[in-house]
Amino acid sequence: MSAVAETRGLVVRYAGATALDGVDLTVGEHELVALIGANGAGKTSLVRALSGLVRPDAGQVLVHGRLAQVPEGREMFAGLSVDDNLRLGGWRNGRAGRATGPVYELMPELTAVRHRAAGTLSGGQQQMVAIGRALMARPDVLVVDELSLGLAPKVVDMLVGHLRRLHAERGLAVLLIEQNARLALELCDRGYVLEAGRIVLHGDADRLARDPRVAAAYLGGHVAAEEPR
Amino acid sequence: MRTRTVLAAAAVTLALPLLLPERHLPVYVLLLLAATVTAGVSLLMGYAGQVSLGQAAFYAIGAYAAGLSAVHGVPTLIGLLVAPVVAALAAVVVGAPLLRLRGHHLAFATLAVHLILLSLLGQGTWAGGAIGLQGIPPLSLAGTPLRDDVGYAYVAWAVLAVVLLISHNVVDSRAGRGLRAAAGSEIAAAAGGVPVGGYRLVVFALSAAFAGLAGGVYAFYLGYLGPGSFPLLLSIEVVVMAVVGGLGTITGPVVGAAVITLLVQALNELGTRPGMPSYAPAALSYAVYALLLIAVVRYLPRGIVPAVAVLRKGTS
Amino acid sequence: MSDLLGYLLTGLGIGAGFALVGSGMVVIHRVTRVVNLAQGAFAVLAAMLTSALLATGLPHGLAEGAGVLVAAGAGVLTGIVAIGRPGTEPGAALIITLGLGVLAYAVEVTVWGDQPRSYAGLPGAVTLGGARIQAHYLLVIAVTLPVFAALMAFFRGTDPGKALTACAENPYAARVVGIDVRRMGLLAFGLGGALGGLAGVLLTPVQQVTFDSDVTLIVNGFAAAVLGGLTRPGVALAGGLLLGVAQTLIAGYGGGAHQLEIALLVMLAVMVAQAVRAGSVREVAR
Ligand SMILES: Nc1ncnc2c1ncn2[C@@H]1O[C@H](COP(=O)(O)OP(=O)(O)OP(=O)(O)O)[C@@H](O)[C@H]1O
Ligand SMILES: [Mg+2]
Repeated sequence: MSAVAETRGLVVRYAGATALDGVDLTVGEHELVALIGANGAGKTSLVRALSGLVRPDAGQVLVHGRLAQVPEGREMFAGLSVDDNLRLGGWRNGRAGRATGPVYELMPELTAVRHRAAGTLSGGQQQMVAIGRALMARPDVLVVDELSLGLAPKVVDMLVGHLRRLHAERGLAVLLIEQNARLALELCDRGYVLEAGRIVLHGDADRLARDPRVAAAYLGGHVAAEEPR
Repeated sequence: MRTRTVLAAAAVTLALPLLLPERHLPVYVLLLLAATVTAGVSLLMGYAGQVSLGQAAFYAIGAYAAGLSAVHGVPTLIGLLVAPVVAALAAVVVGAPLLRLRGHHLAFATLAVHLILLSLLGQGTWAGGAIGLQGIPPLSLAGTPLRDDVGYAYVAWAVLAVVLLISHNVVDSRAGRGLRAAAGSEIAAAAGGVPVGGYRLVVFALSAAFAGLAGGVYAFYLGYLGPGSFPLLLSIEVVVMAVVGGLGTITGPVVGAAVITLLVQALNELGTRPGMPSYAPAALSYAVYALLLIAVVRYLPRGIVPAVAVLRKGTS
Repeated sequence: MSDLLGYLLTGLGIGAGFALVGSGMVVIHRVTRVVNLAQGAFAVLAAMLTSALLATGLPHGLAEGAGVLVAAGAGVLTGIVAIGRPGTEPGAALIITLGLGVLAYAVEVTVWGDQPRSYAGLPGAVTLGGARIQAHYLLVIAVTLPVFAALMAFFRGTDPGKALTACAENPYAARVVGIDVRRMGLLAFGLGGALGGLAGVLLTPVQQVTFDSDVTLIVNGFAAAVLGGLTRPGVALAGGLLLGVAQTLIAGYGGGAHQLEIALLVMLAVMVAQAVRAGSVREVAR
């Protein structure tokens, strides 16, 4: 399987502090990959490096095809309408590539609020707009930084459903960053565990979920596979 | 080591008026007065984080306070002491509402204060109107009127020394530390029990008092005042001096005032050489303010004094 | 009564100029957070250049157009110097624009001297409801209103306009979707330069210009802009017109030379009131 996004020996530093310290990570075509790690492990720094918002201090970032991100904290253009938020997601496509219809087809929930200012939406609605805005770039790989943070379980289920459909119907590759490791490992094929700027574990998602170290640190001490669904 | 440097600087600057040729003494006096005003700006911008684009308004208020009282028969030394008091009071009156503003709003408000003052001075018959205030007597110390530049050079020196001493003490005081905290994060400082608003007003008034005191000396030195003596550019000039020298340092204002005054003076001499067009002095000094200000903000954002300090640490 | 109408129209003409200067500041500020103190210099530059070009025999329209274009270029250059360095704070950028405004003095005095300049505008006078006013004031109004309509249409209805707003709303998110925030800032500076230049070329026939006329323009422009919190061009238009009318009325009914002070006092009062309101909102939120 060929890679759509990849880092090799990636190092990112901020004013002396090292956020990423030699990270090798690969997302293959049509692959669902989870990245889990504690607060401050460097997940968002990895996202920024992948989308070219910070320059690596060492190592390489290779993206084959288009990468779009759903940023941590959703980052709405609060005063602009939902529709304008979506349109600007397609900024790089040129005028012709900024039609927002397909996003409403995928997430009909947004149709009713399309003219509302994005800042007035609920957290779940904003997360949908953020996903829609990223999809407007017609990405080959979607990087989602904290899908579920602050959202009700029902809303999270719905968002996960949208991601599954995008993957199944369009073959979209996803790099999913999640505090909820159980959710991420269930959804994804493979996973990486980031600690203090280094990848400490990686492999098949169900193997990671059964790994006692992962269970102890991220799954509240229980091994995921033994949990009833 | 520090004390020795300070003493050496004091000795050199005290000897200068006697060594300099007569025609350079006005530059010396005006340089020290500029440094005095700049010390206030530096305190305001460096420690209280407030940009003032109207500091010369308080210079003018001090000058007019001294000039008017002297013209009306008040002893000149009292007039000189009245100058900073009036300027500080004016700052309190103006500052009480305006210091609620922050950043560029405050910068603009202070500029507006300067413009309003200019217009009031230009129209007020009590201030001599557009013609100005004439016949201000010279400053009398112990019954002897100061008539030559050397005397004013020493008065200006003493004034600057007092102002720098006060600055130094303020910076090291409780209020100074509170202010620095407030310049960093106002909410945090307020939560820590620092009376931020009060301190800001005090520093604003203090910086105005510095400017007013310098203005008082200026009034007696020149013997004439008009609205044209205090153009908007003067307010900008002291900001340039403060930024160039280095905000929030004690020596920065002196260095900044010296660099700018001497440069402008040199260019002025160049510009008034025979064969130069009539606009040359003005154009050259505008260009110098502008380029120095831009270059310093872009490349030495903390000013000359801190930059030199860093360099010296690096080489030793 | 007819006096009143005359003052109103004259005031609207002058106010339109303030509004153009102010909206230029708004356009720049909302995208870059920089208060551009060189804004008045764009107007003076354009006016001086236009006057020089007209003197060489270039026809009206072309000369004014060239003035506005050069002002737009000066705007972009100002932007490059002020925000070109990544990480320049808005406060530092404000000081830089102040420096550039002073630099413009040096250039203007060198190239065009320090004497006031003017040129003929739309000739003649019009009688409207018994009031005679110079026709040029009507031209100023007739140009300004469509320009503002176009500006609104640009911000509300086009993607580049929305992208400018997006940079103002959330620069990080703008970078996330691939908008080049720095380039957008320069675009805003160019637009601001053009608006300032337009004010200069429109006002010069009724108010002669000297190299330091920028102070009056910028004070009034800022007063207009600050009414809308420096973010809303539409409010800057209303504010500018209001200021123009108020000043003309004051001057017309005997206030004489106090117009500028009144504008300044209004501006100060509005700013303090806004700060007090914002402060009390913050306290409630705590
Ligand atoms: N802009 C920045 N400037 C300085 N340090 C930063 C910056 N952004 C992140 N850091 C530091 O880099 C490290 C990694 O941060 P990062 O945001 O990548 O972590 P994260 O894994 O996304 O954390 P979280 O789960 O809290 O979102 C942290 O120590 C953080 O303090
Ligand atoms: Mg993060």
